[in-house]
Amino acid sequence: MSVVRKTGYENPDIFTMEIIKDSIVALGDEMFNAMIRTSMSPIIYETTDFAVGATDAKGNLLAQGNGVAGFLVTLDTAVQSLFDHYALDEICDGDVFITNSPYEGGGTHLSDVVILVPIFFEDQLIAWTVNKAHWTEVGGAQPGSISTSATDIYQEGLHFRFLKLYEQGRLVRSLHDLIRDNVRLPESTLGDMHAGVAAAKVGAKRILDLVSKYGCTSILLAMDELLDYGEEMTRVELEKLPQGEFEAEDLIESDGLGNGPFHIRVKVTIAEGRMLMDFSGTAAQAPGPINVSSSGLVTATRCVFKCITNPEIPANGGCFRALDIVCPQGTLFSAVKPAPVSLYYETDVAAMELVWKALAPALKNRLPAGHYRSVSGTFISGQHLDTNDLFVMGEPLAGGWGASYDRDGDSGQFSALNGETFNIPVELFETRYGIQVEQYSLHNADGGGGEYLGGKGVVIDYRVTAETAYLTYGATRGESRPWGMEGGQNGSHNYALVIREDGKEERYNMCTTVPVKRGELIRIFTGTGGGYGDPLKRPRQQVSMDLKNGYITTEQANQQFNLGV
Amino acid sequence: MRVATDVGGTFTDLVYYSIEQSSGEVSVLGTAKVDTTPPDFEEGVMNSLEKARLNPADFEFFAHGTTVVINALTERKGVKTALLTTRGFRDVLEIARGNRPDLFNFNFRKPKPFVERYLRVEVEERVNYKGEIQKAVDTSSLADIVENFRNEGVEAIAVCLMHAYTNPENEIKVIEELRRLAPEMSVIASNEISREWREYERSNTTALSAYIHPIAKRYLEFLESKLAKAGYQGSPYIMQSNCGISTVDSAKRNPISMVESGPASGIYAAAHLGRIIDEKNLIVLDIGGTTAKCTLIEDGEIRITTDYYIEKNDKCPGYPIQTPVSEIVEIGNGGGSIAWVDEGRKLHVGPQSAGASPGPAAYGKGGTQVTTTDANLVLGRIDKNSFVGGEVEPDMKALEQAFQPLMKKLGMTIEELARGVIRIANFNMTNALRLVSTNKGYDPRDFSLIAFGGGGAMHAVALAEELKVPKVIVPVNSAVFSAWGMLLTDLRRDYVQTQPLLLDDKNVQLIKDRFQILQSEAQEEFKQDKMEVSGAPISFEHFADMRYSGQEHTVKIPFPITDAGDIDLGAANEAFHQAHEHNFTYRLGNDVQIVNFHLVAKVLVEKPDPARKKITGIKIEDTILHKRIVDYDAHGIHEATIYDGDRLEPGMQLSGPAVIQEPSTTLVVAPGHRVSLDDFGNYHVLISQTED
Repeated sequence: MSVVRKTGYENPDIFTMEIIKDSIVALGDEMFNAMIRTSMSPIIYETTDFAVGATDAKGNLLAQGNGVAGFLVTLDTAVQSLFDHYALDEICDGDVFITNSPYEGGGTHLSDVVILVPIFFEDQLIAWTVNKAHWTEVGGAQPGSISTSATDIYQEGLHFRFLKLYEQGRLVRSLHDLIRDNVRLPESTLGDMHAGVAAAKVGAKRILDLVSKYGCTSILLAMDELLDYGEEMTRVELEKLPQGEFEAEDLIESDGLGNGPFHIRVKVTIAEGRMLMDFSGTAAQAPGPINVSSSGLVTATRCVFKCITNPEIPANGGCFRALDIVCPQGTLFSAVKPAPVSLYYETDVAAMELVWKALAPALKNRLPAGHYRSVSGTFISGQHLDTNDLFVMGEPLAGGWGASYDRDGDSGQFSALNGETFNIPVELFETRYGIQVEQYSLHNADGGGGEYLGGKGVVIDYRVTAETAYLTYGATRGESRPWGMEGGQNGSHNYALVIREDGKEERYNMCTTVPVKRGELIRIFTGTGGGYGDPLKRPRQQVSMDLKNGYITTEQANQQFNLGV
Repeated sequence: MRVATDVGGTFTDLVYYSIEQSSGEVSVLGTAKVDTTPPDFEEGVMNSLEKARLNPADFEFFAHGTTVVINALTERKGVKTALLTTRGFRDVLEIARGNRPDLFNFNFRKPKPFVERYLRVEVEERVNYKGEIQKAVDTSSLADIVENFRNEGVEAIAVCLMHAYTNPENEIKVIEELRRLAPEMSVIASNEISREWREYERSNTTALSAYIHPIAKRYLEFLESKLAKAGYQGSPYIMQSNCGISTVDSAKRNPISMVESGPASGIYAAAHLGRIIDEKNLIVLDIGGTTAKCTLIEDGEIRITTDYYIEKNDKCPGYPIQTPVSEIVEIGNGGGSIAWVDEGRKLHVGPQSAGASPGPAAYGKGGTQVTTTDANLVLGRIDKNSFVGGEVEPDMKALEQAFQPLMKKLGMTIEELARGVIRIANFNMTNALRLVSTNKGYDPRDFSLIAFGGGGAMHAVALAEELKVPKVIVPVNSAVFSAWGMLLTDLRRDYVQTQPLLLDDKNVQLIKDRFQILQSEAQEEFKQDKMEVSGAPISFEHFADMRYSGQEHTVKIPFPITDAGDIDLGAANEAFHQAHEHNFTYRLGNDVQIVNFHLVAKVLVEKPDPARKKITGIKIEDTILHKRIVDYDAHGIHEATIYDGDRLEPGMQLSGPAVIQEPSTTLVVAPGHRVSLDDFGNYHVLISQTED
């Protein structure tokens, strides 16, 4: 037997460093899987309305698990804000922190709860694992903790500002019980809480495994290199982008209380290896719950930035070092306490698409025409027909995406703010809530025509079976339309109809707990995306096929595409 | 004589043996490898028989695995297919689940449905979630629909109606009428393929089944008739994705069940070998030219799941197929995987592959990029003198040219770079192995790693070190291991039925009944499909997919039930809690619910012991081919002893630094690890964990 050269990893070469970095990145997926499998709510396991990740000791994002795009890098700002509440020596091994504060790091709305776990090696804080998930219920005035009618944050549910949920490994009973006794579905809410803690611990264990294998110094070095790699990859891409100033404006129709429309504006400057997004000129924060806090804006802008720089590499804090954001305090995109925020996501996706709208003409290969720009969060609560138990159903709806320079838009896809979001299968949905879904289809409302067609929105019919059910719904683009490009038509609207027993239709863009009786119908439309190019340039054969497929009506074929049939 | 053929993407493998009457042992074991012959795959099968000079008249048993289904799917070579749905749901197939795994790509392309919208037609009918018929189906519209389909050139019709998994009555009425109206078309109803909920997954499964049905059926008929013509008296058995075989009639009715038949037989072979050599906890690794596949076997049990997708990756949602498939993680890392450097100077390996053509740069067939195989050559792990079984002289000039650009970019020597390539490739494979082991709550130290396929033995030892697996097993004849597995599989069918039920005393009778219903159904179907060999009885295994009330995702557990059908509720409850804690680190006080009942029905096939490797008494020194310098990366560079694997004999032991070479297998053993051969000639490598 020959002599074994003892190598170890004290002085890791570049490949070992790569492997350590990739192992850190892989943490994201590991935690993601743990979360999805242990959660209690469809909004987490089907909608994947959550994100998991790890940061270094200071709160620089190292890796994140796929969930929704809209949670991109809200995790790092949570860690950064935690240090406003705790000195380093107040953070101990075995602690678990919880926050849902919208106005601080990691914040969006109260329903999105962040769990933070510090990781120690030999008494030194070396990293954090963090996750953020939409809990079905955090109390407040309305079931599901979302409304279109709140006038301040106090109506929107329990508010945790960086509290300790565990102290040195022991569950803080008083906080646990406080949550249990102040939410409508404690079993589900506490289940989600446990899932969050379990997922964070899976990540923490892996980091410690890596430390024991490669040594703490190598791990800390790899973390720094990972961030630099993100910065470098982004810089290369940034240089390839068209340089200059790009502007866009758009609007949000209403705040749910009847105020509006609210104008939103951005000026994007790409120069000297940096990108500046300036939202000055955006309307002041609204009385109703459509406000976004600064941390929500950061995440929206980072999504688009990532899309046009390098969507391929895993996101980390370094990727965003070249991004600057300017937005005065107290606007719709930078709301301050006690602004209500439960529908923040509608405005957040609008902020995201606003930047995209500014850049799309210059980046046609990366950005299509406007999409339905809405999460279309639909909440129905009531008593299950069979069990009389209270149910709170919440789901986002898929809609139409814009066409681009070389193809039709996708139909029935979740918004840009979403991502690994899945619709709830109708067969599960009906079993769980007793509501009957009578239709889940694409529609052919006017809009989205072009050389390339905007993707189709969906229409879904919920037949109420409970004695009375209550609908809460909110979407933008109820009056405005997704924007077309290069002569393509604008898309169609998002809205809800309640169809009463007598056949009367009530139309809503935003509503809270509208009672709907047994046998009545809730019908929701999501918009068709914007078209691209002159409809008359679409080949006739293709238009005939669209007609045969029912994507367009005969009338549309003749009037918009001049088919003449 | 018992014969198995396995049609793969590149090669068609054949394995055969006959059993010595006196000893009961296998007396002849032969193999043959020929080119796969698309699109007439059965030609390759016949060629392999010819090459091995076998006479089908002598066959007592013929098993067959084929990629014909997966090929037709991935190459979109199925037939024009239509889909019938419940009123209001024809777009379920197109909307799919609405997800976008490519999170930050706003120019995402959603996968296109296999059935165009004008061929997706709705019928008036409705069953509710309790399985009650709210609206009986109106079949009067079907005649016009079929006429229209016929005019459009449709060859197959899929039918998937809401909640048909719990009450298929309406669906059955529809297909009966369709089969009457369109006897020339393939007609498939969802309840014939899947009895699980989730309408998109079930619709897609049914649509894909119909799409490939005529192709698969035609293929099986050709195969049957060619075999018959050549003198085969019996009927072939067909390898299924659930690691069992079925009769050809059954395969024709439900051909999607063949979708992963290739990997399935390899996994079955691993489990079976494990039983023989008393290694019941196995991590299974199959490294081919383009991909590596892995799975885990615990206590001899292969995990079968219906959570299966094709074309799914981190950018694409893929297409779900709800058919029982052995749980596999597959990654784009094999011998032909290409190494490349990105703009941040980061080295990657795969998932692009140089494939068989042009292949690795050293093949000298025009490959200009570095592959894993090239790196193994540079490091001396592959013998330059017996490259590709000695059939190819490696083109070292082409190889060096391929390395140049990367060496320049990273500023390093060829050896440094080659080590990097192997280390990254191994890391990728380790991650895949972690997904099936540590990520599911298993400790690799409780397992052995069994490696086969062209590249399995080359990398297995390094991977075992990384995962802290104490032992590596490389089976004898590892290159045709999958085909061998097919000769040992049982006739098997999985029945998975969604029926959410609380696990409590009130439901004991319902639970018993449900399993009983599935059992009767299995008995009837086995009879109907002649799923039998030598009169052996049907045996049953019971499983349940269970969850905490309120959760969605389930955990599969073996369900405690006696032969008489009595169930032990307490044991079932505890088994679930334990499994949940094992997988997810915690247990809850919530009620426990059964979601799916899963019955496995089997007819056991006689399995002779494999042949023992002959002992001639040759000395181990005489099996040494030569010595050469081999780079073992972290273990240093050593003069390694190179052994002729074909001549090594049971009972022999050797230590690294060594390489064991067979014509199609190279087992690389780093210093410190010990190798022994068991009675059958399988290699057992004991890994010494020197790092800690």
